[in-house]
Amino acid sequence: MSAPIDAAKAAAALELLRSAGAAGSRAEVCGLTQLEGGWSRRTYALEVADPERGPDPDRYIARVRPADSILDTELGQEFAVFELLEDEPVPSPRVHGYEPAEDTPFGGPFFLMERLSGGAINVWRPQDQAALRTDWEDGRGIATDFVDHLAAIHAVDAGRLAGVVAERDFAATVARWRAIYDEVKLVADPVVEEAYAWVLDHEPAPVAPCLVHGDYRIGNCLVDGGRVSAILDWELTTIGDPRFDLGYLALPYSAGRFVDGGSELLGGVADRDWFERRYAAATGRPVERAAIDVHAALGALMLVAIMGTGLALYAAGETADIRAAWSRFVFPGLRSDLATLMGW
Amino acid sequence: MFNPLSAPELIVGMGRTMRAAAGDGADDDWARGQLLSAYSISRLLAAEVDGEAELLAWLKGALGAALAAADGAEAAAAAARIEAAADAGAVGDALVELLATLRERPDPPLRARLHAVLREMTARELATLAASRGVAGGRAGGGSR
Repeated sequence: MSAPIDAAKAAAALELLRSAGAAGSRAEVCGLTQLEGGWSRRTYALEVADPERGPDPDRYIARVRPADSILDTELGQEFAVFELLEDEPVPSPRVHGYEPAEDTPFGGPFFLMERLSGGAINVWRPQDQAALRTDWEDGRGIATDFVDHLAAIHAVDAGRLAGVVAERDFAATVARWRAIYDEVKLVADPVVEEAYAWVLDHEPAPVAPCLVHGDYRIGNCLVDGGRVSAILDWELTTIGDPRFDLGYLALPYSAGRFVDGGSELLGGVADRDWFERRYAAATGRPVERAAIDVHAALGALMLVAIMGTGLALYAAGETADIRAAWSRFVFPGLRSDLATLMGW
Repeated sequence: MFNPLSAPELIVGMGRTMRAAAGDGADDDWARGQLLSAYSISRLLAAEVDGEAELLAWLKGALGAALAAADGAEAAAAAARIEAAADAGAVGDALVELLATLRERPDPPLRARLHAVLREMTARELATLAASRGVAGGRAGGGSR
């Protein structure tokens, strides 16, 4: 049995769609359910029947920043990035209106975007890992799109995003996650402390800044018919060092390793050498493993800070989302990754 | 080791999730995801509690051996604190302070020994948690973030 439609949420969504010119006066919400994913955002699937737009319901996603978000990132920035991407060769959904008010029926600011066809891959599920391995061994449609889209992201004119997203160099990025870690940590962690010192001691020589997705992994893509149909989850986007995306992707975590397991493929998707060669050819940027490793460690530290935020909120009773408590079990694997990257 | 939230806090959290499901049902993806996360915690926590005392004893012993070969009052003080530590949190506190001191007054051999112990600790902890597959069958379970 499906849950009844929340009338207040439906009305708020319709009002926003109408203000964006995406729904007529006779439109009605005929489906509204909360989806499982989303740690810092809540996600709702909507179906809107609109006789002025045709016989089939239009499908939308409502993306909400709840009060207990584990990331203090601005939803309006994410909306603006999606708007800019509509003119770029990066597949992404069209957005239809942003409501910045905190006091909404969704429990926070929200925007609406079209719901594209395709599904999300959960690289921690063995069956999804197997499907990606099949793609790699037979066709490589997902693998090819995955690297080509990253190259396209890194080729976006960063000037278009000036004033929309923050620009952070390596030191500023380390400082950002360190500040959050210090603010939210509940216990002292010697591995994490050593890792912060290590990344600062191994700062790579700078490269030209560009658009950085900040959370680039196959789980943040939609896959449809064996191809990547959309890149989602732009809330960690910055103008910064493109090697961050490569390093984050190189973490075993990004390939589905939890307390064990995980794919041998980069990000669960492609052979690492193949991916890096194709990326280098597409961007003209050499891929230097030593620099990538430092950014991988920084990626692990980012995850520690983000999940630590959720844990702190949970411990303080500010969120009842049990996944925030569950995330403590990710830490041992991240410590293992850090120890390996630091050459311990 | 060094993980936030205690076993009792996690047990209370699982109970709250089950109570919420009993009251409101689990008729959408979100509610079902909450229940599955609570289930995953139950298996991982069981494995963690089962191996916790052995892992803590090993960690204290290995750190004690690493520190015994070092000179200096800081190392001796850290060794005493670690020996007296009742839990991993207290071990972490002592180590963080010592490692910060070693950044000011480097002792590369000691630092390398401590790093080796911490690396082995991460491997042992992962092996302990991986045993959660045997607690109730199936994989320990990851998550989609």
